[in-house]
Amino acid sequence: MSGIRAIVLITALLSGLLQAAELKVAVVVQDPAQVSLQGNLLPSSTPGADLVAVTDELAREICRRIKARCSFSHVPFAEILPGIEEGRFDLGFGNFLRSPEREKRVAYSDPLFRSSSRLIGKPATARTFATKLGQPVSLASLRGARVAALEGSQQQAFLDGIAGERELAVLATSTTAEALDVLRKNGADFALLPIRTGYALISRDKAQHFVFVGPAVTAHGLGDAAHIVLAKQKNALRHAVNQAIAEIKADGTYLRIMQRHFPVFLD
Amino acid sequence: MATADNQHRPSAGKAFAILAGVFALLFGAVVALLAVTQHRVLDAAERLQRETVPEIIRFQRLARNLDQLSHEGERMFSSVTPEDRQQALFLVMLVASHPSILEHSQAAVMARDTEAYLVETNRLAMRDPATLRMRYPEWLRISQRINLLVDDLLVQGANLATTDLNDMADAMRAARLKLLGALILVGGFILLLIALLKQHLIRPLQRIDHALSSLDVGRPTPEFPDSRLAEIHAVEDATGRLHKAMVSNEAARRELELLANRDGLTGLINRRHFMVNAEAEIRRAQRYERPIVVAIGDLDYFKRLNDTYGHGAGDVVLRTFAGLLSESVRQSDLVCRYGGEEFAFLFPESTVEQAHILVERFRQRFAEHDIQLPSGLLVRVTISIGLADASHCPLDIALQRADYALYEAKRLGRNRVIVAAEAD
Repeated sequence: MSGIRAIVLITALLSGLLQAAELKVAVVVQDPAQVSLQGNLLPSSTPGADLVAVTDELAREICRRIKARCSFSHVPFAEILPGIEEGRFDLGFGNFLRSPEREKRVAYSDPLFRSSSRLIGKPATARTFATKLGQPVSLASLRGARVAALEGSQQQAFLDGIAGERELAVLATSTTAEALDVLRKNGADFALLPIRTGYALISRDKAQHFVFVGPAVTAHGLGDAAHIVLAKQKNALRHAVNQAIAEIKADGTYLRIMQRHFPVFLD
Repeated sequence: MATADNQHRPSAGKAFAILAGVFALLFGAVVALLAVTQHRVLDAAERLQRETVPEIIRFQRLARNLDQLSHEGERMFSSVTPEDRQQALFLVMLVASHPSILEHSQAAVMARDTEAYLVETNRLAMRDPATLRMRYPEWLRISQRINLLVDDLLVQGANLATTDLNDMADAMRAARLKLLGALILVGGFILLLIALLKQHLIRPLQRIDHALSSLDVGRPTPEFPDSRLAEIHAVEDATGRLHKAMVSNEAARRELELLANRDGLTGLINRRHFMVNAEAEIRRAQRYERPIVVAIGDLDYFKRLNDTYGHGAGDVVLRTFAGLLSESVRQSDLVCRYGGEEFAFLFPESTVEQAHILVERFRQRFAEHDIQLPSGLLVRVTISIGLADASHCPLDIALQRADYALYEAKRLGRNRVIVAAEAD
């Protein structure tokens, strides 16, 4: 009896090993110091470490659910899409918003969460611009300002699109922490960041230099669902990832991961 | 066999095909109606699953996020340090920036106003913490409005499902009515089918069965009421024809039997038929211990008659003899032409004495009877007869004894009846 059990166990293990796919996973970093580091070795003092940790944990859970052996690379946002296209990465965890341009390049998983974009700046700068503009600062009213945004992001694409008309100077940074650094050093007046990222960064800023400026925006591709990206031809992988997302949302795993890193759960 | 009459009657196959076609059409119509209702139910279920449930979840998420907004606002007022207030305010801004709130106009306005009120409160509290207490009542009113909106959203979400569920319930009720209609239709059709089968198939078949089982040449040809189905009518016709054929066959059989059992010249039964019947009669008489007698008679000088007047004259004598004999014996007596001018007799239920009287009377009558020959000449012919009791011996023995008695009658001068002596 024990012999049969052993054979069954060995067969199951072997079949599991044979089925286990090797996946290369890219996780977006928020600070240059986090590049090329593994999740559990991330310096917790670096800006946005929580965001990287939650993304990392989510990626590991999905890998576990799809029975894949994943190797993780922590890279700047702008490297993920080219990496997926070139086959260097199988899955890209960067909370990607949908856009027609990206649709041509990569495939999307089902949504992970929903996001919007919001300007961040110093209160004094906001007041100065409000006076100059004659109205409260918002993305709709902003004109003649230097605005930082994450390189390769929807925010940067949007700003590039209106820069000429609004006389904006767009500063692309490789990480979100760098965008805040630029603000801190008066290299830019505002930064346009995803709300969750913005919150994670300014709420951990001990000096409390920054505030959200103007209302949040979801129009112009600056908000709504955030996704994992993967190569367009990998349909089976996409189905498996979607299945895993549905599972972790249904059984509460996703909620627990979020609650470990964020004080509120927004869905 | 198809007759001209049958060509005007519907065949059973065609009649039932029409009936089945009508039923199929009606049932198909009901099934189509049910399919429409089923489609409606499936549509409602799919709409519930694809649109309504996600919409309900959206309402619930929005309500939860607004509740979170209210909760974080409350936390800002209860925070002790400016840092904690700022953290609570950041969370308020995070929640107020969520797409679920931004895409709902009423919630978006409320969140924007709430955020603005809390930002201003925080700004004032930086200068004078007492401001928090002063602005708290207004916050309670804002918080109450948020909570009312949360309640409204939850109710709206629940109401979305009610519409779809009511639609499904309506469709199910309609389906139930249609199913009932289908049931009545099927039941009605089955009853109609049974009635038609009984009237046009089962009862005619029973009548045919009864007619066939009692079909006899002694009975009249069976009569059937007019059948509507061609096949039934054909079988009824065939039954009538069968009866007529049976009657005709029976008549032919009887004629053949007559020809086989009778002597062609005299019309009396022949020797074979006599022997068969006599054997049976003797067995029956002996079984019931009843008297029975056999006799053998022979026309006297018949050969000489033939030689003198020709065979035609002999035939006339034989026919005359047979005619007289038929008039003289009882219905139950058997007489046959035993061969040539020899005749055999069987007298059931008669003692030797009774039979003797009978044959003696006949002998006398025949002897006195003038027979007109074909030439016109009148002649008289006599007969010698030997009688024997057959009550206690087999037929052949009894005939042998009768034959001895006949011989004795011839020897004693002819034209007489001699009774055989009792058997030892």
